[in-house]
Order: sequence, then structure tokens, then C-alpha cells
Amino acid sequence: MKLFLKKLWVRRSLSLLFLALVWEWLSRRGTIDPFYAPPPSEVLRVIVSLFSEGRILTHLEATFTAAVAGLVIGLALGIVFGFAAALIPLVAELLEPVMMLLNAIPRVILAPLFVIWLGIELPSKIALAVVLVAVLIFFAVYNGIKDVNQLLVDRVRTLGGGRMVLLREVYIPSVTAWVLGSLKVAVGFAFTGACVGEFVAATRGLGYLLQFAQSTYNAALTLGLIFLIMAFVMLLFAGAESVERRLLRWRYRGSNAKAG
Amino acid sequence: MLRVSDLVLGYDEEPVVDGVDLEVPGGKFVSLVGPSGSGKSSILRAITGLLTPRAGRVELNGDQESSGFLFQDDALLPWRTARENVALGLRIRKASKSSALSEADAWLNRLGLEGFGGRFPHELSGGQRKRVAIAQVLVLKPKLLLMDEPFASLDAIVRTRLTQELLTWVEEEHLSVLLVTHDLEEALTVSDTVYLLSQGPRARIRNAYAVSIPRPRDVLATRRHPSFAPLLEQLWKDMFAEVGPPQQAPLK
Repeated sequence: MKLFLKKLWVRRSLSLLFLALVWEWLSRRGTIDPFYAPPPSEVLRVIVSLFSEGRILTHLEATFTAAVAGLVIGLALGIVFGFAAALIPLVAELLEPVMMLLNAIPRVILAPLFVIWLGIELPSKIALAVVLVAVLIFFAVYNGIKDVNQLLVDRVRTLGGGRMVLLREVYIPSVTAWVLGSLKVAVGFAFTGACVGEFVAATRGLGYLLQFAQSTYNAALTLGLIFLIMAFVMLLFAGAESVERRLLRWRYRGSNAKAG
Repeated sequence: MLRVSDLVLGYDEEPVVDGVDLEVPGGKFVSLVGPSGSGKSSILRAITGLLTPRAGRVELNGDQESSGFLFQDDALLPWRTARENVALGLRIRKASKSSALSEADAWLNRLGLEGFGGRFPHELSGGQRKRVAIAQVLVLKPKLLLMDEPFASLDAIVRTRLTQELLTWVEEEHLSVLLVTHDLEEALTVSDTVYLLSQGPRARIRNAYAVSIPRPRDVLATRRHPSFAPLLEQLWKDMFAEVGPPQQAPLK
């Protein structure tokens, strides 16, 4: 039992379960108004009905497509522009002010503009997710290259390595660590972009459904959707972490006994 | 093997190094010592091509590939295993992956790291990482070794062992060596010639000392050779003439 309780995920699950039970009890005895905070059992019933009736699937598909497409395109653009800016001074001159400006503002305020430009369907949601992710990754790559260990660059150069070898042996692995470090945040940003885009104007998607639940004062549906989005983001977090551990095995592999 | 003539380094009006001349004849061990900030490491970086001199000449008998550079930090790629790090230089020189890796394994075995080839640098001790760094250079069979305080970060026991192993290897293979160090005893123990740099800026070679202790040398026994102590005393005197004598009064 003690060994079981030592596991982090067990302690976290038990803590969440405890909170849910307290909430259920307080809601049932009327201490908290079920209209505003329905008990977890009611929220669970709404989530189950959303799946059993199949109503949620089209919304899930829309949000997932926007988030994943935004994540992939955002990663690609962030990496390409980050490398270009770090290696070509002219590109840095052109891109850095724009990126700094985009980084300084809450980028979700661009959502209405994307709706005007791209309409209320999928492209405007993807565009918002792309902007959120690309700026984050741009700075991860840009700073990753700028902060590359100069000793490693000198080492490879003294071994006879040219520009391509440096890129392959030093810059790309070094930047990979930075990008993977930001991957979990990027996953969250991609979902934020997709949901906020749907919140502003859409015909389907979890954000659209959330807007509908809020406008009809349906707290159970609102909470159910919030928990659903949390669950999916956690699932993608786990995927991102597994990718990080696989690609950065040199960092994570436990150290064996070191001899003198 | 290596001749440096009238070398000037630095970007400001007042150069760090101003008119340095030194020579490393074939098969000789030469050390460069001097006060902190006198530009010892910069001279080595200029020889390897990592630093562009403001003036002067660096003449290498052979191309840049015939020299190997051992850094103060081990500077191993953290995402490559020990054997991949050792094989890197061979891979850059277009050796096939399998032959580069088997050559790397052979060198790791030679340096006492059998079975450690699959480990990443963070899984090795400081001494083991330094051995990997040495293997990374020696696998390329350089004729000239350039070393910038390679063992400074190691404890005294590991440092003495590695110095002896490297010295034996250099003597057996008749390699030429230029060692930059702040340790005067170490310089005299291993070298045929020791150059003393003056205090910077505008550092120059103040003096050259010939060390005529016979080879092969033992790093501990060499310090008991009759000519060692007088040479060391002279070197310290000249060093203090540059930086000032040690303070007699306790520090406040």
C-alpha cells in the first residue's frame, strides 16, 4: 500500500478524487448552488450523453483538426523562420521586430481579424493556432541557436567540420532540445487558438459548443466541455512528453555508476 | 613543425599579444606559461584558426588536419555517445561509419574505457570524459598536439595519471606538442622548452627555458632531477618580475 501511495500519479488521482467527492457532497446538500456548479456526477452524465448520442464527434473533429493542423504548420514555420533569422542577419532584421510585436500582445485578439479575412470555417481557427504556436517556436529556435555552446562549435571546427557538419552535429540537436522543451506549451497554445477561434465565430467545434452552453446558462455542459478539453490536452501532453523523451534520450537516460 | 612569427592579437588599439615568436620543432614538447590574461589561450586559438590574427604568421609543417586540439573543457557533444564522439573527426574526414566506430572502440579500449563506449558524456566521470576527449584527438593521428590546460579541472590523482599516460604516448609516437598551462611545475616536467609570456596587454615572449632532463620521463621522478629545482626557481623569479612578488602581509 505504501509503495502504491509513493507513485506520483496515484497521489494526484486520489487528490482529484477527494476534491470531486467534496464538491459532490457540497452540491447535493445545497451548500453550493447546483445551477452554477452542478455536482460532478451530473457533469459526467452530460459528457457520457454527448458521446452516446454522437453529437460531440463533429465538434471534436473540428477542434482537433484546427489544433493539430495549427500545431504542425506553426512548428514548421517557427523552425524555418527561427533558423533563417539566427543564421541570416538580414532575415533577423526583417523578422525580429514583427515577432517581438506578436510576442508582446495577447495574440488571441487577432481572432476577429482572421474571421474577417478567412471566414467562419476551419481556416480562421487554424490561422490563429498557427500564429500562437509559430511565434513561440520561432523564439525557441532563435534563442536556441544564439545560445548554442560555443565550445562545441569550436570543437567541431577544430575536428575539421564545416557549416553543414556544424548544422547537423551541433545546431540541430541543440535546437531540438529547445523546441521539445516548448512542445508541451505549443500543444496548449494550439488548442487555445482553435477553441478561441471557435468561440469568436464558428458553426462547429468545442469552442462553438462552449459558447452555446454559456449563452444558454448550461453550467453542466460548460463544465463537461472544459473537462473534456483538459483531458484531450493532457493526452496530447503525454504524447509530446513521450516524443521528447525519445528524441532527448541522451538527456533522460539515467546515469550508471561513475568510476574515477 | 610549427613556427609563429611576430603574432599580434586583439581588436582594440592596445593588442593583447604584440609580436610573439615561438617555435615547436618536430618531436619536441613545448610549453607556454605566463600570467593570467597574457593571451596564452588566444595564441593557441590563433594557431588552430579559431581566431584571426591582426598581424604575424603561423606556419604549420603540414596542413591543419595534421594537428589536434585538446581543450580545457572536454567539449564533448552531449547527444552523442562516447564512441560516436570519438568517431566524429573520422566521420568528418569521410571514413565509413563502421570503420570510424570500430577505430573509436579501439582507442577507447586503449585509454582504459572498454565497455564505456555506449555511454553519453553525462554518464561518465570527469576523468573518463577527459579520456574520451583525448581519444577524439588521438584517433585522427595528429603530428602536432595543441593543448590548452587540458587537465586543469581534474583532481590531482587523475591529473597526474593522465599527464603520465599522455606524456608516454607523446614520447613513443614522437609527437610535437604545444601546451598552454599556468602550472610551472607541470610545464617543466613535460617540456623540452618552456616559453614565458610577459604580463599583458602587449604581451611578448619574455624568456625561453631549455629543459635538458632525459626522456622517457616519469612525471614524479622528473621533479627530483638536479636541474629541475633551479629551473623552477628561475621561472618563478621571472614570473614574479612580471606580476609582482607574493604579498607578505595577511589578506584583510
